[in-house]
Amino acid sequence: MSTRTGSVRLGAAGRYALLIVAAGISLAPLVWMMASAFKPGGDIIARPFSFDAGRLTLHNFRAMLETIPIGTGFRNTAIVVVLKGTLTMIFCPMAGFAFAKYAFPGKRLLFGTVLTTLMLPTLVLLIPLLLEMSQLGWVSTFQALILPGAIDAFGVFWMRQVIMAIPDELLDAARVDGAGELRIFASIVLPVIRPGLAALGVLSFINIYNDFVWPVVAVNDEQHQTLQVMLSALAQNIRSGQLGADWTSVWGQLLAASTVAAIPVLAVFIVLQRHLIKGVMAGSLKG
Amino acid sequence: MVTVTEAMAARREARTSGRRRVKAAPYLFVAPFVLVFAAFSAYPIFFALQLSFTNWHGAGALKVVGFANYRYLLASPDFWQSMATSGVLWLLVVPAQVLLALTIAVALRKARFRGLFSAALIAPFVTPLVAMAQVWIILFDKDFGAVNHGLTSLGLPAVGWLTTSVWAKVTVALLVLWRTTGYAVILLLAGLSTIPSDVYEAARIDGAGAWHQFWSITVPLVTRTLSFVVVIGTLTVFQLFAEPYVVTGGGPFNGTRTAGLYLYKHITNSDLGLGAANSMLLVLMVLALSVASIRLLRSREDS
Repeated sequence: MSTRTGSVRLGAAGRYALLIVAAGISLAPLVWMMASAFKPGGDIIARPFSFDAGRLTLHNFRAMLETIPIGTGFRNTAIVVVLKGTLTMIFCPMAGFAFAKYAFPGKRLLFGTVLTTLMLPTLVLLIPLLLEMSQLGWVSTFQALILPGAIDAFGVFWMRQVIMAIPDELLDAARVDGAGELRIFASIVLPVIRPGLAALGVLSFINIYNDFVWPVVAVNDEQHQTLQVMLSALAQNIRSGQLGADWTSVWGQLLAASTVAAIPVLAVFIVLQRHLIKGVMAGSLKG
Repeated sequence: MVTVTEAMAARREARTSGRRRVKAAPYLFVAPFVLVFAAFSAYPIFFALQLSFTNWHGAGALKVVGFANYRYLLASPDFWQSMATSGVLWLLVVPAQVLLALTIAVALRKARFRGLFSAALIAPFVTPLVAMAQVWIILFDKDFGAVNHGLTSLGLPAVGWLTTSVWAKVTVALLVLWRTTGYAVILLLAGLSTIPSDVYEAARIDGAGAWHQFWSITVPLVTRTLSFVVVIGTLTVFQLFAEPYVVTGGGPFNGTRTAGLYLYKHITNSDLGLGAANSMLLVLMVLALSVASIRLLRSREDS
């Protein structure tokens, strides 16, 4: 019996050791990025693992501000996040409601389309979508950044699962009281699914904020560049030597820019992480 | 009499118009999805399919060339090299990820501070990839990077993480693993939470050890979630674009030119017909891999 408790206790110790190491590895590069952004250039190379509070400086951040118009990047990203996120959060529950609570001709075909879209590589759409944008005259516009991703198949699929859990009697009772379908959606369905909707909101925010592939293809001018594209352009300028051969100071700038780009999304994540984790879990249970 | 039939007709009309309203409702609700999908997914896919049979370079009329693009790609060493690179990255990422994520998820299941650990594990998934790619470039620099700094201070040789095509693949794979394993852990944790604990209770009474419980209860019961994790991992790796684009630019010596980056090269070269054909081959590849991994794991579940 005593050996048994011993082994269980050892198991628990091993379990926590494993978890602490895993969590440490997850966070270490982030912590290193943020700490190094405040170091004087040379220290990032000479003493990558030391942290001396007395030597911290904002130099890298000031230099970064001079190199890229990061304010414009933030503004553009904010516009795209708000508009695209709002559309996603209206359209996905709408479609999800139709798939969950109505029988109608064409439903199977449409829902099959949703499921197929889940498997479709985004890269496949790159060429034809870019051509479509140029036909529409939308290259380097906000429409191009917002509309193509305004609906997301995962969001539709997931909202359908969430809405299916609402009892039909609740909706029928409202119908007997004379409520129209739109009204049922707005004043019964939406309030009931608020937790799922919140999780969709967090996931959408993170995805749209971090999106890179489509914005890098669809936008050619600095005026419409999102934060992520700007950051990648800065890195490319550095690699091609356009900012001079002084690698050390430039590394600091890159880390400062990366930190600035990461902080908003990390802040949202820290505040709303419960919703996100719940959302990811909900997505998987159904998969 | 007349008034009665009129009233009946009126009532019937009211009823059908009511029914019609209910019937129109679902279409109203799916309309935004259908419109956006038709305009920005269905139309482009059919356009790409059409384009894949032409040698279009971005201007002028479409000139049909039959299967020439497909024949060219299937005979091209570059195409196969890009596929092989994605395949190697798959081998480096997916098995390691499944193993790590399952181990961590099992440990996490019974641990305290689950929320805190989950948050730490999923934080890399949330952080902008482009930002983390910069950190990777700096950490893994051959001469000045912190990783080699650490290795040499331990008396180990410095590694050309980004300067040799083999290690560059490893570096990219490490970034992908680092970013996505926490996500897989959360997915698996959800799968594990559906296993009733009395199953373990019963096994323990029968004298099953921890290892036995893991193999004969945990693994079979999370097979569905595991297959989901493998499919997501496969899709991620075969669509890999941003990681190699930002960290290595596909180099060195095309060592990290994934299927996605090779596809992108056709865009920058304005070989749009060829690129469209490459897209179609990539779709087939991804669908085949997803179906195969689901089949494989399902057959294990049945046996």
